[in-house]
Amino acid sequence: MCTPTKRVQGRQDPQNFRKHHCFSKKVLLNCWLVRRIIAWASPNPKDSVEDELELSAVRHRPEGLEQLEAQTRFSRKELQILYRGFKNECPSGVVNEDTFKDIYAQFFPQGDASTYAHFLFNAFDTDHNGSVSFEDFVMGLSILLRGTVQEKLIWAFNLYDINKDGYITKEEMLDIMKAIYDMMGKCTYPVLKEETPRQHVEVFFQKMDKNKDGVVTIDEFIDCCQNDENIMRSMHLFENVL
Amino acid sequence: MAAGVAAWLPFARAAAIGWMPVASTPMPIPPQDKRKAQDGLIILNVSGTKFQTWRTTLERYPDTLLGSTERDFFFHEETNEYFFDRDPDIFRHILNFYRTGKLHYPRQECISAYDEELAFFGIIPEIIGDCCYEEYKDRRRENAERLQDDEEMDMSNDVTPVNLTFREYLWRAFENPHTSTLALVFYYVTGFFIAISVMANVVETVPCGTLPNRSKEVSCGDRYALAFFCLDTACVMIFTVEYLLRLIAAPSRCKFMKSVMSVIDVVAIMPYYIGLVMTDNDQVSGAFVTLRVFRVFRIFKFSRHSAGLRILGYTLKSCASELGFLLFSLTMAIIIFATVMFYAEKGSSATKFTSIPAAFWYTIVTMTTLGYGDMVPKTIVGKVFGSICSLSGVLVIALPVPVIVSNFSRIYHQSQRAEKRRAQRASKEAGQALVVKAATPPFESQHHHLLHCLEKTTNHEFVDEQTFQANCMEVSVVNKAGSRSSSLSSSPHGLGSCCSRRHKKKSSFSPPSTNNQELSTIQIRERPVSNSRASLNAKLDETVPLKCDESYITPSMVSLSAPVVTSADEDASTTTAYSQSNIVRVSAL
Repeated sequence: MCTPTKRVQGRQDPQNFRKHHCFSKKVLLNCWLVRRIIAWASPNPKDSVEDELELSAVRHRPEGLEQLEAQTRFSRKELQILYRGFKNECPSGVVNEDTFKDIYAQFFPQGDASTYAHFLFNAFDTDHNGSVSFEDFVMGLSILLRGTVQEKLIWAFNLYDINKDGYITKEEMLDIMKAIYDMMGKCTYPVLKEETPRQHVEVFFQKMDKNKDGVVTIDEFIDCCQNDENIMRSMHLFENVL
Repeated sequence: MAAGVAAWLPFARAAAIGWMPVASTPMPIPPQDKRKAQDGLIILNVSGTKFQTWRTTLERYPDTLLGSTERDFFFHEETNEYFFDRDPDIFRHILNFYRTGKLHYPRQECISAYDEELAFFGIIPEIIGDCCYEEYKDRRRENAERLQDDEEMDMSNDVTPVNLTFREYLWRAFENPHTSTLALVFYYVTGFFIAISVMANVVETVPCGTLPNRSKEVSCGDRYALAFFCLDTACVMIFTVEYLLRLIAAPSRCKFMKSVMSVIDVVAIMPYYIGLVMTDNDQVSGAFVTLRVFRVFRIFKFSRHSAGLRILGYTLKSCASELGFLLFSLTMAIIIFATVMFYAEKGSSATKFTSIPAAFWYTIVTMTTLGYGDMVPKTIVGKVFGSICSLSGVLVIALPVPVIVSNFSRIYHQSQRAEKRRAQRASKEAGQALVVKAATPPFESQHHHLLHCLEKTTNHEFVDEQTFQANCMEVSVVNKAGSRSSSLSSSPHGLGSCCSRRHKKKSSFSPPSTNNQELSTIQIRERPVSNSRASLNAKLDETVPLKCDESYITPSMVSLSAPVVTSADEDASTTTAYSQSNIVRVSAL
């Protein structure tokens, strides 16, 4: 019944509006109550914003082919094949730790590969951002498949050195050893005993720890490995994998 | 997704370098790739629509047309492509199967056309993914039923074959009255007599005026006793003849006698014969009169003539649990309210609520909102509870009834669908158990080498569950170790000995084994526990032949590919998980 202009004016001035339209405080409170109920009933709108951010962060595009070719020792064709396989399994462009563990676990169906996969993940994730991008993946592979023996040994040392402090302690080695033995699973011959990993670690330290100070440094490691011909031979094992 | 695992194998092998410094024993020699897979693009021209894919994509499934050399028959030299004169729309799904490992069924396609395409390209329908499998099976069943109905209609329209025996002819006439004129006549005659008999039962109780020398009114049955008796005799004659004929003609007499309809027939005619046999004794005639009640069962004979009655009976039977629940809840409410009303009305004088069972009648009449008024509460408390009773009666009765009504259709369809699904799952598992997917040879040998490296690193071997259990119980472990190391050292070529030992072990494994390539698609989540992993070093005393070429690798692959099992360690559940995760292999390797 009021003219439009008057109504608009009323809206802009709550006091007058209330006076004109006999709005009591009770009605306003009810409105607020209704709003509160609606707000309580409907889900939190904050989460959706976070989800959006997360979604956008997961998309990752690798560097160009030329750059990767320069940084790694793979040819173009090899990089293409690697990327296609990578992208097929991880459409978002990065691997997070769970996917990594799943993928690795499929190669070791009888045992539990998750612990070792965790260590591997940390070894590949050189910038420690919680995900392995294609660049990380391909850099790691480049060292492992096309690198010199020295580089491979350094990579292995980094794998064993869980806290990346430059020393392999017995505890770190025990963790790694347990992880490797976990991959064997339960059904092995001979039956896996509790102290087998520990014994293995003892053997390793006896061989590697030259100055018997309880830790293995990188130089001790590399020296010892270079003097062991079994290890040297096995380093060349996977060179023609790709 | 199927490519996923295979593509990451180089990574897994490269990561094995991490084991090298800690390995206790030297590593086995890696398998040599005899030929590098040429990974070129293949052009598939399907009726003009060009599809392109990598050669390796198609070769993932070597038992299908596109993955095997069979596709060479379709190679078109002039255009350097493979030409197929088939439906391109359906081919899209088939090609996606190669790419993703999952076969989908498009809803808008005709089921027979789809089946034909699958058959042409050598793909077994059992591998249709779970997302589309139910729809596919439903459509297939509908199609089969449609075909069957068409056949039956054709069959029933046929002229009856002359070489039916008299007995078969009689049974056929009884079951399908429209096959011959005689049967139709008989059908209508029995229907007529059923109606006559029921009407006579009804009419003979109607009061028919007074007899001349009596003042009391008599019913028609007593007045025209002879007429009614003759009518009853005639009807019973007809029914008896019909029952005997059906009994003679029935293919399985025992089954016929146990069927509902025959029981109804017997119950309908028995009272007459019992009445004939019994003497005109006063004590017994009371019981005889009661027996006459059973004559009303003749009305159920109409269900042979009406399909609707049969369906109603069936749905009532299938809804029995819901009806039972209604009855139970009603009983509970009746007992509660009857008790309350009894104690509420106990105080008032000359009350009709003499006992709790007497109050049952009041409760039932009130709850069903009948309200006869023969029993009413007089105290105020009684009236309060009486009104609560009638209100709750509305709820207790009115609420379940629509639920039951909807349950009719829901239960009916659900039981049909549940049976369908059970049958589908059974046949799907059966189909999948028969077929096994073969792995691509290079992948398998490389995977095997990787696992062998792990064995060497830890100086332990993989064994299967049975061997493991046996080992736990065996004492002479040392002897075995001795013999094994000798067989190990006697084989110069690492892979050769492994292959052949695997080959020997093949016989002891359950047949279905998955391709590792399918691992990613199916069981990517759980930690797989497998119990029949091929033992890499069988417990053999004799040395095994060391020849190891392609032909050896292939059969051992079937036994080797470790099935990814997400179940517990029982074999029963393992086999079902096997069969559920297995994918196609058209021909046995």
